[in-house]
Amino acid sequence: MSTLPILEISNLTKSYGAVKAVNDVSMHIDRGEICGLIGPNGSGKSTFFDCSTGLGRPDSGKVTLDGQDITGWSLNRIAREGRMLRSFQKTVVFKALDVEENLIIAGQMFTFPSLFSTFSLGRMSRQRVTALRERARELIRMAGLWDVRHMPAGNLSGGQQKLIQFASMLMPEPKIILLDEPMAGINPKIIERVVETIKYANKSLGVSFLVIEHNIDVVTSICERVVVLDQGRKLAEGTPQTIVQNQQVREAYLGG
Amino acid sequence: MSLTQTSRETPLAEPSLEVRRRDLRLPLGILVAIVALSAPFLIGSYALHAIIIALIFLLPAHGLNLLVGYTGLLSLAQAAFFGIGAYTAGLLAVHYGTPFYVNLVAAGLMAGLIALPLGIPALRLRATSFVMCTLGFVIIGQAIAKNWISVTRGDMGLSSIPKPFFALGPASFTVSGTTGFYYLTLAVAVLATLAVWAIVRSPAGRNMIAIRENETLAESVGVPTWRYKLIVFMLSAVFAGVGGSIYAHYLTVVSPLTFQMYYSTTMLIIVLGGGAGTISGVVFGSLLFVGLSEALRVAPELRMIAYGFCLLILVFWFKKGFAPLLNRFWSFVGGVK
Repeated sequence: MSTLPILEISNLTKSYGAVKAVNDVSMHIDRGEICGLIGPNGSGKSTFFDCSTGLGRPDSGKVTLDGQDITGWSLNRIAREGRMLRSFQKTVVFKALDVEENLIIAGQMFTFPSLFSTFSLGRMSRQRVTALRERARELIRMAGLWDVRHMPAGNLSGGQQKLIQFASMLMPEPKIILLDEPMAGINPKIIERVVETIKYANKSLGVSFLVIEHNIDVVTSICERVVVLDQGRKLAEGTPQTIVQNQQVREAYLGG
Repeated sequence: MSLTQTSRETPLAEPSLEVRRRDLRLPLGILVAIVALSAPFLIGSYALHAIIIALIFLLPAHGLNLLVGYTGLLSLAQAAFFGIGAYTAGLLAVHYGTPFYVNLVAAGLMAGLIALPLGIPALRLRATSFVMCTLGFVIIGQAIAKNWISVTRGDMGLSSIPKPFFALGPASFTVSGTTGFYYLTLAVAVLATLAVWAIVRSPAGRNMIAIRENETLAESVGVPTWRYKLIVFMLSAVFAGVGGSIYAHYLTVVSPLTFQMYYSTTMLIIVLGGGAGTISGVVFGSLLFVGLSEALRVAPELRMIAYGFCLLILVFWFKKGFAPLLNRFWSFVGGVK
């Protein structure tokens, strides 16, 4: 296995008017690593995320995924060709569709060779969908959503929707997943399950992670390394233990 | 593998307690087919005319349904593509005397191809701006039809477009009379309905629905949403163009009035009133709204008033169109209470 980082972001800058939301931030995520990204509200975490995943365009800087320059790629291309997937802060599922359909959609573009092939109803196409359905069911069972698999996703609880979103991202065998506050607004029981799922995906499926998270217990329990942003700049970097001790970080959080 | 959750693997309980009656769906389907095939002998020629118009409008409505109902893009451009199809077929038939199916295919292709350069800039716009932009296409289409006199003969329009004829080798066959035209239109309408069915059942149909439900989420799971929207926009134009070609052959006249907002709104009413995102709803909607509008011509003074009332009732009582009602009826026929 190559020792190059799976994701490398160099000198990323993004301004909204006069405000530099992200100011010359560089970081990397090693292969097989779970890396945390923390910082006070408004520190630029989400902008940094958006610019790295193609939802926003950085003003300058470079994003390299698995050795390939993906700066300026669209969100869908980064997902499809780069197999770098992301979640959203608010739980996002296709509310009107059932759980199984949600997962099948999440896998489709990785199974069909071209956009035009998705218009086919032929045997190949049906076989592909059947294979997707099987994989979807496997993940649904793993996420403990088997009993509700035919329910519209919008009717399920916030925590269950988080699990759907998570299972959706595992559909295409991703290289790296970026999670934007996966634990926000869900009960401790589901937090436990999401933590387990992240660890499982990391250990057994070899998925690398970058996780924005406010829950410091979660960060210390899953992350090997943490990067701290404050006011659009990188403030500190290190193991969770050293970060918690770091005076500058404490000041940033306490508004010192 | 600690995550492998032990879940009760019992499938959801079968609705065994519900009263099961005989499944009458197949007999009903056959009955509908028989009625459709024998309609010319059951109803008067005026009613038949109304149904032909309804079946013609079903085509652009199917296209619009792919756009509005399945992909979530509101467009008012259908009349423009309908007009393009009508002019394409009319010009070919008048100048080159080409057979009907050639005109039909050419009209669909022309509308689809013109949709490409229109869709590329228009689909970059946000929802409301996109609607305004598509409205512009209808107005531009009419202006071109009026002013490109050397080709379109301006306000005089194209007249004496020949009746549809089919040529296979030396044999040729002309469809004349309302009855013949009814069968021809019915055949095209059935094919178009099957085509829409195939599109929405395909994996692409699932992606279209994903775009409608949440475009950013669809993007994030790798769906190239912009390209899908462009393709569906072109497909919707193809359906409208095919409808326009039949319209030209049926009326034998094409004028700049083919490009009118009234047509775009009629198509929209069919889709929204019938049930956006359903096929049966749109088929029902086209028969109801166009049939109703044509049938009400017997009382011209009251026609638009009556039509307006029907729309009001629809908006208040059937917020999702007739589709939920049709579904309930269908499961009732299927024997599930």
